Amino acid sequence: MSHPVSDETQDHLQQWPARARKLFGELMEDAGSDLQREFIQRAVAAAHTPAEVHAFADALRGMSDEEAYASCTLHDDAPDDYTVSQLLRAEADPLFAFELKGGTIEPNEEEPAPEPVPEPVKSDAPRLDALGFVLAKKKSSDSFEAPLSGAPRPKSLDWNDLPSAKPPPPKKEGPASAGGTRFLEGLLAEATSALRISWKEQDIDSPGGLSLADALASAAGALSRGIPVPCAIGPNPGDHRRFVVLMQLNTSGQSRAWQLYDPFTAELVWANEGDLLMKRELPFANKVNRRLTRIVLPQSLRAAF
Amino acid sequence: MAPAKSQPSTPFASRELNGEVLLEELADLRNAQVHQKHLSDLVVGLRDLEGVRVSEASQRLKSLAANRFSGTPALASLLVRWAAKLKVEADVPLLIAHFERLAVTSAIVSAVRRASESLKGAR
Repeated sequence: MSHPVSDETQDHLQQWPARARKLFGELMEDAGSDLQREFIQRAVAAAHTPAEVHAFADALRGMSDEEAYASCTLHDDAPDDYTVSQLLRAEADPLFAFELKGGTIEPNEEEPAPEPVPEPVKSDAPRLDALGFVLAKKKSSDSFEAPLSGAPRPKSLDWNDLPSAKPPPPKKEGPASAGGTRFLEGLLAEATSALRISWKEQDIDSPGGLSLADALASAAGALSRGIPVPCAIGPNPGDHRRFVVLMQLNTSGQSRAWQLYDPFTAELVWANEGDLLMKRELPFANKVNRRLTRIVLPQSLRAAF
Repeated sequence: MAPAKSQPSTPFASRELNGEVLLEELADLRNAQVHQKHLSDLVVGLRDLEGVRVSEASQRLKSLAANRFSGTPALASLLVRWAAKLKVEADVPLLIAHFERLAVTSAIVSAVRRASESLKGAR
């Protein structure tokens, strides 16, 4: 059975890779009530990543409607030290409210999925402003269906670990990249600890990594929330030569352009998404590094943003 | 007909607000040896601004510059410059987002510079 999805949610879903959209459908199907489905939709519309939405849906599934409503909305008893910004955002974003009220989610980062179905990113513009998506029926908890299913979702559906269209990754702890080194994850976590951002470093187009289309889809979500995305570039998958930062995403009609910054040469360039996906050349002076080889995605933006 | 209130003013509507402009500001702050902690503190200090009127937001920015960040002239100067550019309500959240992005980008660039030592072929 398919469930109605708002236009705003649909806009965001179109930026998700096919597998993540499939996961969304399953999360909606498995949700224990209309209220939970509504919260899941709104989390998507608020530009959370597929992994965050997945973890949020898992957290909701074990709750009754009353518990979910209490956990994901701010009431008149909201503490005075909540800022206007926080209150407004919590109004539109149930996952943000959930975390603001002390809830925690743990986006799954463990097991790989078995069947990758990478699909080119569609070219719709990311939606930036979740604040316009104000709840219209938030007082109707009594009218929602009773919970609940409770069965845990198989971890293999977590979008965070989508493999590329390459052989299945070796199953082991630690990094999947060449040389087994995660260069940036820890340093970024340390550097952004005050801003409460955690990161996950993943290879692109390498076994166990993301496809480039999937990586860009996730990066689009992060940028729409104001978080630049560090990447490595190099001549071939697994051959990381230099770090750059995805600064912005600009959409014009059907085309999308990414702004890349190389902190070492101070080059700031725009690249068409189509050109990035072709993996033939990047618009930096050094033409050896012609493709993105790794991406470091923000995983959890607690109450900071 | 009056212009729509939701339209940000020119500096905030620029495509390069969070690109070239941000990186120039970052370079200035780096040259002035403004620490990451100050930027993170600034983000926290700006959180209350969302939803307030332009005049009040501008006043609070100047107050932050004159008090909390008086010891970091480069940052204080940046705040005062942006305070003067606030014209309409829509500018305020964009400015907050700009400073948030400035802080995150600063942290990322700093981490990238340190991590580059681990990369073969990195200069």
